[in-house]
Amino acid sequence: MTVPVPTPRDEPEPTSASGPVRASSVASAIPDEPPPELRYRRALKLGTSLRSLWAARHTVSSLAVRDLRSTYNQEILGVGWALLQPFTLMVVFTFLFNRVGKVNTGGAPYPLFSYIGLVPWTFYANSVQTAGLSLVNQPLLNKVYAPREVFPLSEVVVAGVGAICASLALGVLFLVEWTAPASTSYWVVPLIVILIGFTVACSLLAGAVTVYLRDVRHALPLVMQLGLFLTPVVYGLRELPVAYRAAYCAINPLGAVIDGFRECVLYGRAPSFTYTTIGAASTVVYLLGTYLIFKRLETGFADVS
Amino acid sequence: MPTCPDGAVRAEHLWKRFRADRGRRLLRDHVSRATARLRGPVPENPWRWVLRDVSIDAEPGEAVAIIGANGAGKSTLLKIVSGVMFPHTGRLATGGRVGALIEVLSGIHPELTGRENVMIYGTLLGLSRRQVAEKVDEIVAFAELEDAVERQVKFYSSGMKMRLGFAVAAFLEPSILIVDEVLAVGDTSFQQKCLDRMRDVIQSGTTLLLVSHDLAAVGATATRGVWLDDGIVRADGPIEDVLGAYRRDIESDAAAHANVHGLVEVHDVRADGPNGRLVAVNEECTVRLTVSTDVERQVNLYLGASEGAPTPIFVVRHEAMLPPGRTELELVMPRLPLPPGQYFLWFGAYQVETRIEFTPWQPIAPLLVSGVRQLDPTPRAIVRLSPVYVEAQWSRVRDSGASANGNGERGVAAERTEP
Repeated sequence: MTVPVPTPRDEPEPTSASGPVRASSVASAIPDEPPPELRYRRALKLGTSLRSLWAARHTVSSLAVRDLRSTYNQEILGVGWALLQPFTLMVVFTFLFNRVGKVNTGGAPYPLFSYIGLVPWTFYANSVQTAGLSLVNQPLLNKVYAPREVFPLSEVVVAGVGAICASLALGVLFLVEWTAPASTSYWVVPLIVILIGFTVACSLLAGAVTVYLRDVRHALPLVMQLGLFLTPVVYGLRELPVAYRAAYCAINPLGAVIDGFRECVLYGRAPSFTYTTIGAASTVVYLLGTYLIFKRLETGFADVS
Repeated sequence: MPTCPDGAVRAEHLWKRFRADRGRRLLRDHVSRATARLRGPVPENPWRWVLRDVSIDAEPGEAVAIIGANGAGKSTLLKIVSGVMFPHTGRLATGGRVGALIEVLSGIHPELTGRENVMIYGTLLGLSRRQVAEKVDEIVAFAELEDAVERQVKFYSSGMKMRLGFAVAAFLEPSILIVDEVLAVGDTSFQQKCLDRMRDVIQSGTTLLLVSHDLAAVGATATRGVWLDDGIVRADGPIEDVLGAYRRDIESDAAAHANVHGLVEVHDVRADGPNGRLVAVNEECTVRLTVSTDVERQVNLYLGASEGAPTPIFVVRHEAMLPPGRTELELVMPRLPLPPGQYFLWFGAYQVETRIEFTPWQPIAPLLVSGVRQLDPTPRAIVRLSPVYVEAQWSRVRDSGASANGNGERGVAAERTEP
């Protein structure tokens, strides 16, 4: 590291050819509008962005730890609340479909069938909803420098911890139904990667858009309620006509993910190669697209949030 | 863009604008803006420039203060340098890690204990978990929290919260430290501690960018000043010069807006040195002023001198019975204790018993003090409240080598200095 020689302060500032003379007491020398050739443009490089995000990983974990501690420290049920949300939905849908109509579960007990879909769905919905609010009313946004992705990402981490707790209850459910997860369950690992990828993509988008369009915060819960029924969570992907399934998985990779979970955990089959590949490919596209949108919108977050 | 060594800030021609309209971000606002655009050209410019062509350079280890009135763009400039905001136009480069201390309380979570907050806030500000863990005891000791660290922060007094926030940030050790109006935390002794810590930080080679309205603290801490006025750099140079220019501006502003009317009116003010010469340091100063009143009044007349704010350096009082009409008064100060510089004379008239104001406290005339006897600078980070010239002579009473058989402490000191 070379030590720079401080330039003497008394020397007159060099006049640059492109901009106006340095403003020392002469206000009239400053134009009304900035010179367009000096317009600040941030070079947007995926590699650089990801590197700075990796450098800020401690910030993500700190934010997540702070949220988890402050929410779960004081509550009697603690992480039990994370479990209660998918569990209640499972009970409700079990009763509903027992009375109203049958869902083709492929021979699996309905509570297991729906719970295995409700856990990833809850993770997704909670992530997107909280990430949507993570950049508005965020006191740290203006104070702490970090890539802005850290705020929605920390919400995904918080929801992820809840999802892990909720999946522990799955074991209890298996005991109650007196079955065991199939030996092909290891397939959940790539499926979880797709799930996280798609969740991150939607969370980034929700966070960025809410900053500029505050109505989104009211629209998000509605969208999530609709999404619960538009996604094969409480019913199976097989309810869809075969012709549409591939297209559906491209639009909503959650369909492929949840279907894959059921295939490998309940039926002992590998997840459908076609649907999983389509879901994975579209998740990559979603992730790249939303990340670029987020990075493009990011420069204005501090101004309007 | 020139190369940027560790700890340096290079910002050139920065421009920044914010929306000047209502700026709400609801769907119907977007719709109404879009329809307004469709109907025709928007008559009003919805943007307001808050920074206009601001250039600021800081060399490694330099302490630069940014001063200016509220809304001059100081905080916006700091936010841009710290990276949380992006400029509209301009070039910006910073070398090394930037630590920003903007509103120390924003990262403190009330539901967590003090220790948990230290850990989390430290990592939020850019330290690794291990680094914070190493420093946590030091931080707690600095914040003078003692047993309270295991308590939830929502049960803290506001002073404790402030101290906690500052203590975490004070141990960041970045290459560039940005401090926005957070020096004034806690009681007087903690403030002194903060200033001491700030001096340590500068001494260790950290570049400091500082915003504060406490001009005395700014003068004691910074070496260079940048005066921002309505988004424009009005002055950039040694801190004394910039502070002087800023103070003069405030004062002439106050004088221009002063309500010279009251029940006791001032008509003519004149300050002279001895034998009609210029007013000079440590010499006789005569102030002649003509006042008038409508009816006979028993008044307390106050005359003071200040260098910027309406807080005077000294005040002299005179109780007088003013007859109706004009009265000429003369005030002689045998030795004016002000160092050379530009000051203002302030005046106020009050009823004697009830202290009801006849004429509010206001600047009435500039006071230029000439002379060559300059005020000695204070040591770094020591705050001088107001400049007073004190005639002082130093002399050497005794050298350590002069008498080796002196008794008491002096003798001990003499022994120590011997090789």
